[in-house]
Amino acid sequence: MRPGNVEIMDGQNMSRVARLSSLAFSPVLAVAFATGVGAASLGVSGEAGSGAASPTPAATTTTADSGALRICAAKNQPPLSMEDGSGLENKIGVALAEAMKKKAQFVWSERPAIYLVRDYLDKKQCDLVVGLDTGDPRVATSKPYYRTGYVFVSRADRNLDVKSWNDARLKKLGHIVVAFGSPGEVLLKDMGRYEDNMAYLYSLVNFKSARNQYTQIDPGRMVGEVVNGAAEIAVGFAPDVARYVKASNTPLRMTLIEDDAAKSNGEKAPQRFDQSVAVRRDDKALLAEVDAALVAARPKIEEILKAEGVPLLTIPQ
Amino acid sequence: MRKLLNSVSLLSVLLAAPFTMPAAHAEDKLEALTKSEDNWAMQGKNYASNHYSTLTQVNAENVKNLKVSWTFSTGLLSGHEGSPIVIDGKMYVHTSFPNNTFALNLDDPTRILWQHKPKQNAAARAVACCDIVNRGMAYWPSDGKTPSLIVKTLLDGNVVALNADSGQEYWKVENSDYKVGSTLTVAPHIYKDVVLIGSSGAELGVRGYMTAYDVRTGEQKWRAYATGPDSDVLIGDDFNKANPHYGQKGLGTATWEGDAWKIGGGTNWGWFAYDPGTNLVYYGSGNPAPWNETMRPGDNKWTMTIWGRDLDTGQAKFGYQKTPHDEWDYAGINFMMLSEQKDKEGKLRKLLTHPDRNGIVYTLDRTDGTLISADKIDDTVNVFKKIDLKSGLPVRDPEYGTRMDHLAKDVCPSAMGYHNQGLDSYDPTKELFFLGVNHICMDWEPFMLPYRAGQFFVGATLNMYPGPKGDRQKGEGLGQIKAYNAITGQFKWDKMERFAVWGGTAATAGNVVFYGTLDGFIKARHSDTGELLWKFKLPSGVIGHPIVYQHKGIEYVAIMYGVGGWPGVGLVFDLQDPTAGLGAVGAFKQLANYTQMGGGVMVFSLNGQGPYDDVNLGEYKAN
Repeated sequence: MRPGNVEIMDGQNMSRVARLSSLAFSPVLAVAFATGVGAASLGVSGEAGSGAASPTPAATTTTADSGALRICAAKNQPPLSMEDGSGLENKIGVALAEAMKKKAQFVWSERPAIYLVRDYLDKKQCDLVVGLDTGDPRVATSKPYYRTGYVFVSRADRNLDVKSWNDARLKKLGHIVVAFGSPGEVLLKDMGRYEDNMAYLYSLVNFKSARNQYTQIDPGRMVGEVVNGAAEIAVGFAPDVARYVKASNTPLRMTLIEDDAAKSNGEKAPQRFDQSVAVRRDDKALLAEVDAALVAARPKIEEILKAEGVPLLTIPQ
Repeated sequence: MRKLLNSVSLLSVLLAAPFTMPAAHAEDKLEALTKSEDNWAMQGKNYASNHYSTLTQVNAENVKNLKVSWTFSTGLLSGHEGSPIVIDGKMYVHTSFPNNTFALNLDDPTRILWQHKPKQNAAARAVACCDIVNRGMAYWPSDGKTPSLIVKTLLDGNVVALNADSGQEYWKVENSDYKVGSTLTVAPHIYKDVVLIGSSGAELGVRGYMTAYDVRTGEQKWRAYATGPDSDVLIGDDFNKANPHYGQKGLGTATWEGDAWKIGGGTNWGWFAYDPGTNLVYYGSGNPAPWNETMRPGDNKWTMTIWGRDLDTGQAKFGYQKTPHDEWDYAGINFMMLSEQKDKEGKLRKLLTHPDRNGIVYTLDRTDGTLISADKIDDTVNVFKKIDLKSGLPVRDPEYGTRMDHLAKDVCPSAMGYHNQGLDSYDPTKELFFLGVNHICMDWEPFMLPYRAGQFFVGATLNMYPGPKGDRQKGEGLGQIKAYNAITGQFKWDKMERFAVWGGTAATAGNVVFYGTLDGFIKARHSDTGELLWKFKLPSGVIGHPIVYQHKGIEYVAIMYGVGGWPGVGLVFDLQDPTAGLGAVGAFKQLANYTQMGGGVMVFSLNGQGPYDDVNLGEYKAN
């Protein structure tokens, strides 16, 4: 798979369909992909502290002089982060480290990425998280390096060009897949569709109770449910689902959701987010270094995002 | 119980001429069977579910001479809740998933008479919350046209009736769909010719329901939900007429926000009872869903409710909600036990007693649901200061409430409840209930983890440990056994146990109470004093309840072993994280040092007498 094979829609209409070369969808560009996602050889090192290359414990507050950039990463958070380095944010981390003239050193967590700030960054097991919302109050975030949002994913052979949560068709659809704890779940509840979907959603996680363990539907499964027809539409954050949409043998429609969603009480339900690199709040030196490097790395990062198939929005100034 | 002396002769009449009895009388045959001490024909022993045997051959004086008579292995690991049933010289044994059944001849248990091994989708295993237990089977005697039936539930949601003579499937219906998180672990309850089946999966938003089937055909007679419109809940015209303050019409939706009642839980996987006099069946609906109480403002009716429903129509005559707006997972499915006792004013009343997960043991007038007493199962209960008998409402102590901005410590009972699924007993001559009790408290720590793109994860970490009377250093002292008088509210005696007394008790007129322990003992205590009289270490821990029957002049005590269930979830799945299994792993971390898995039945008698008194029983004979 090479980035050159990918074309992204213009900002006016972000709808895309993968492998639709023979179908006449006007707002759609045909793209052809090699199947699967090649795991790039990124030359990343393993567990922190497991090798001689690891910084000494005294150097944990900053990596400025260590020559290594300690990146907090989940081992198994596809497609964003995977131990073989093939995750979208692993690649971005490597590009960032290169721009900083450092070696990317991934500190792998067995647990999902949601725990990274609390259990790794805050405990100084590592120094940087790739991919958090800009302005996340728990951390200091870099200037945004891209902006994207939630997407609706449906089969191309269904005429479901839904662009907004205000589309009345959503109220009549069969199963809708949303991520647990996401704005989509909130909106499904608000529009009275959650109760009809809950058992189905839990079936996608083998009915694992979410009371005291983080439970999330695998993004690949979300897309797969649309492919196999079990769900009519999937609602995912674009970086979570773009890879699977692109890799699908069944043509799919992926539409960036308009940012006009609101709960019935008027409260806005944001659909689009700036994404940043995050460091500890007091790690100002590293933050400055990251901000500078992001400027330099920008073309490379954009290339990686485009290769992934993530629809990009203009970052508001 | 006072008719017991006549019941054996009545039974023999029925057995002598089963095919000449008019079909209309068949309804009485099951109840008649339960009145013979030759049988233990249903899980609760009889319609009143008192789990009490009038047999006295084994008694407080000689129980120390109990020895193993014979045994049977189910061949399965995982938890074995419930008990075998014994009818007409045969014992029927159930198992955990895949829910096999074995029929054994009491005269000759050397050989299995028949076995039924259902095929079910293994995917159902993943759906069950707390190990793949099953709570046992039910029996219905032939009416001359339909054969005698064994009715059982399968984890995947099916209900199967087997020909009790052959083990062949007679009918099969799908009651629950495991694909939507609804499984079956509940034992079927048969009263007259009606099979009642509960439901599981409230944790996953399953809207609880009770279903009645015609025992002859498996045809559905009625289904009553725990939440939703009155027409779904089967709220009767005179519902709560005697106690309008319990609430009456429209509350299955009005006490929920929006359509949340559709995923509101209230499943019922425990033990029921039935009174032919009122024609009401009694059972408890369980916890509301989702677990996070902030997501379901309101009383969440009719979860956590003691129901009295007409057996034939399902219409509810009363519903008393014990824990409005549950915050702790105190699923109120616990057993219902019927008794006739004089109240404090000396008036003889028809009573229903129910020790709840929430740490309160309730006694109601079962004709109309009027609350008569509500006592703490143990004085260490702290979530409620008391139950106001007039309003029926618990008086909460907010310190021990659970909410998203509050770290609650030393909450007693824990989410497992002070009384869980154990099937306990009542001695009508002593007017004592023998309660197997959990003595477990918990810390409940809420947390919220933000993620990205507006996503977050809300959870709660539960840490469970022995109650104040246990040994928190060692992690033992997690259970009690107690003798309770529902009229005076007094406990005649109580004893601590190393682990929870999870399975329940059986009492006999021989002044003995039997029960099994998680660490694998069957024990006998004096029912007047609680004095320990006898014990025997079983191959595995017990989460089921003992039964007592006689066969050819010998009194037998039988019990299933097979540790597992919620308390054994760490052992079954080899879990180490103390907060796993909603904290059960931590609470029972010592259990694996005392017992290991393995299911079966052990049968005891005085000096071990029984079928193997004939040393040639079952011997191979050359031609």
